Amino acid sequence: MEHLLNSFSLLLQPLPLALLFIGVASGIIIGAIPGLTATMLITLTLPLTFFMESVNAITMLVGMYVGGISGGLIAATLLRMPGTPASIMTTFDGYPLSQQGHSARALGLGITASFIGGLISWAFLAVLSPPLANLALTFGPWEYFTLVLMALVMLASLSQGSMIKALMAAALGMMVHLPGVDPSLGQMRLTFNLDNLEGGLSLLPVLIGAFAVSQIFKDIIVIDREPPPVHLDRKGMVLSLADIKKYAGNFFRSSCIGTWVGLLPGIGANIAAMLSYTTAKNVSKEPEKFGTGHEHGIVAAETANNAAVGGALIPLITMGIPGSVVDAILIGALIMHNLEPGPLLFTTNPEIAYGVITAYLIGNIIMFGIMMFSVVHIARMLYIPRAYLLATILLFCIIGVFAVANRFFDVWIMLLFGVIGFIMERTKMPLGPFVIGFVLSPIAEMQLRSGLMATDGSLLPLFTRPFAATFFAISVLSLLWPLFIEWKNKNRAGRH
Amino acid sequence: MTFFKSKLLIAAGALMGLAINPGADLSKSGQARAEFPTKPIKVYVGFKPGGRTDTVARLVAKYVQENNLLSQPMIIVNKPGAAAANAARDVLGAKPDGHSILHWHHQLLITNAMGVNKIHPQDFTSLGFLGGGSPVWTVRADSGLNSLADLVNKLKAEPESLLEAIGIGTIPHLMGVQLAAAAGFKTRYIGSGGGADRLAKLLGKNADIALFSASEYLRFKPQGVKALVFFGPNRIASLPDVPTTTELGYDAVWANPNWWLGPKNMDKEAAAKLSSVLKQAISSKEMIDYFNSKALDPYWTDGEPAMEQSLKVLDKLKVIVKEQNLGK
Repeated sequence: MEHLLNSFSLLLQPLPLALLFIGVASGIIIGAIPGLTATMLITLTLPLTFFMESVNAITMLVGMYVGGISGGLIAATLLRMPGTPASIMTTFDGYPLSQQGHSARALGLGITASFIGGLISWAFLAVLSPPLANLALTFGPWEYFTLVLMALVMLASLSQGSMIKALMAAALGMMVHLPGVDPSLGQMRLTFNLDNLEGGLSLLPVLIGAFAVSQIFKDIIVIDREPPPVHLDRKGMVLSLADIKKYAGNFFRSSCIGTWVGLLPGIGANIAAMLSYTTAKNVSKEPEKFGTGHEHGIVAAETANNAAVGGALIPLITMGIPGSVVDAILIGALIMHNLEPGPLLFTTNPEIAYGVITAYLIGNIIMFGIMMFSVVHIARMLYIPRAYLLATILLFCIIGVFAVANRFFDVWIMLLFGVIGFIMERTKMPLGPFVIGFVLSPIAEMQLRSGLMATDGSLLPLFTRPFAATFFAISVLSLLWPLFIEWKNKNRAGRH
Repeated sequence: MTFFKSKLLIAAGALMGLAINPGADLSKSGQARAEFPTKPIKVYVGFKPGGRTDTVARLVAKYVQENNLLSQPMIIVNKPGAAAANAARDVLGAKPDGHSILHWHHQLLITNAMGVNKIHPQDFTSLGFLGGGSPVWTVRADSGLNSLADLVNKLKAEPESLLEAIGIGTIPHLMGVQLAAAAGFKTRYIGSGGGADRLAKLLGKNADIALFSASEYLRFKPQGVKALVFFGPNRIASLPDVPTTTELGYDAVWANPNWWLGPKNMDKEAAAKLSSVLKQAISSKEMIDYFNSKALDPYWTDGEPAMEQSLKVLDKLKVIVKEQNLGK
């Protein structure tokens, strides 16, 4: 509690507050523009944070995360173009409602829902994190290994599209981590005698390539497409107390779903929104109204995707395991700042752990303020000519990647992974599992081999240690569940 | 053509002129040979900003600048990755005129002994040791082990009963091996990452022994960690109660120096000048205070003796690596 209050007084200083504001504002703008995502913004900002105090840097990145997920609802509502993947579900009801002439009401609902989702999941984040970190401190190599395994498998089996392709993407990500120093033997492996490969493929060139550069390639193809003009005023945006009361149940349910999905390793805001939307539809007395501009639909989707952000921060600060793809990048940010993410973050660097919690709350409040007051102006950003935007972003990619290690080799790696990312998207191989695989396989490898070292090569603890056995069982089940469903469906089809 | 554009063209033209004729140093065009340094000195650091090697380099650069010890500034170039080999290779390939130097430490000896890469100390010109630091061996404060003797006795009575957090081929590993050989005990290993990871393993009871740098130990001590022995050649002021390995009669010393290096066959005048400037820096009150506050040892060792000492340590490491069957 004392730490939390300290953290507030630390973050309410002019500089951190200004950085948080910049983070949220830029997150909203980038999130609003279709094709540019929060993930891309955060990866690109990483090299810039290098010269900041760690707390300030992390604060700003958390602000971007909150803003980025929230900003996506603008284009989703006005243009039926999800600004970020997390706002896909918002298009279902936000756009129809907006087309019926209630744009302001649709946006107001979305913004307020985002805010409330953020507040409720913040409560979970603040209350659950410290005890969870204590529990996680007793975790040994086997627990961490199975946790990472669970993250990878769940992400693959829950992401849309083919599970096989998702697993392939995860495996590819894991392979990319292999060159460099073998963590258990201290010797070089798979470097093909190239000096440049001795440090392995570093995080930023791979991530910026896969997320930012590949997105630029993708956007160039449709560079001439301009969104249709929309008319918008702010009348009716502010929700009444009666509205809040009416949707109270939905707010709470969707926040819980969002936080829980966020908390599960690997999967984040987009799946949270989907699950919450489906649940809202299933429990509704008028499910046929969903998809026609139903207000409950907007509330469910937007509450959950923001709540997922808070939920996903829980495993990040308590165990150093990312709750979503963006969190995988935040882990990279912590490592770049010489902080070791893990259960000891609360003891060795409380200012960071509590800083994340506090920044998330203040970021949500700032987000609400900015969105309510200037959504009309932000909506205009949707019409910035792409040519200028993409050229500037590519320039930033190159500078950012070069600056980290003063090495042009990294720029080539970035471009290479830009092409790889582009090909993956074209062949419907999801990038999420790729990144999670790349970021988590060093942890998985290190922990597994460290565990094997301690037990002299026996795998028995996978079954005898209670937490490890549970995580392992969940991993196996998540892998088999989709196969079981498919088998059942086939059987049913066969009988007819 | 606008005014701005024409200015830009003139500036570009001037730059082109310099590029074509890089020797055109207008102020010193009359002299036969300009005095070192004629341009900013690049100090390569093979790590990200913020660690010990980087911080010490930056403090030196600041001191040199503020006291006008050199006519040109020192610029820190961070080139992290590949266990600092990226930075080392840049310096090895640079002109040996003293304008590109390296700030590193005895990791150079470890990677060479392990056969990770072929970079050898004698590929460089040694400028000297600018102080250094040593690690401690720790256990949990509630482990019931109160001295190294307790630990040795326990491990002799029950061999391999304690888990030691190490990364193969890293300082924690090689120091543990040396001490174990000297005292005649055996531990079991659990693979670990950096300092914070070793701390998590120790406190979470997934490891019983962990090595930390002295300054890490000062930070971690309140979490319930207890140092049994210090690997430095002598006790330091910030750890008055921790005995050294030498005092306890074990031959296992590790004093990791801040080693300043230049490319091979470096210009003698430049090397002498740099050494004297570095020596001046470490003799200053600011630097000594900083070293003491971080549980580091402030001292100066000239280039040649520094190289000799390092080669001796390298020979010793090679023996350990061979005995443990670690190298390639």
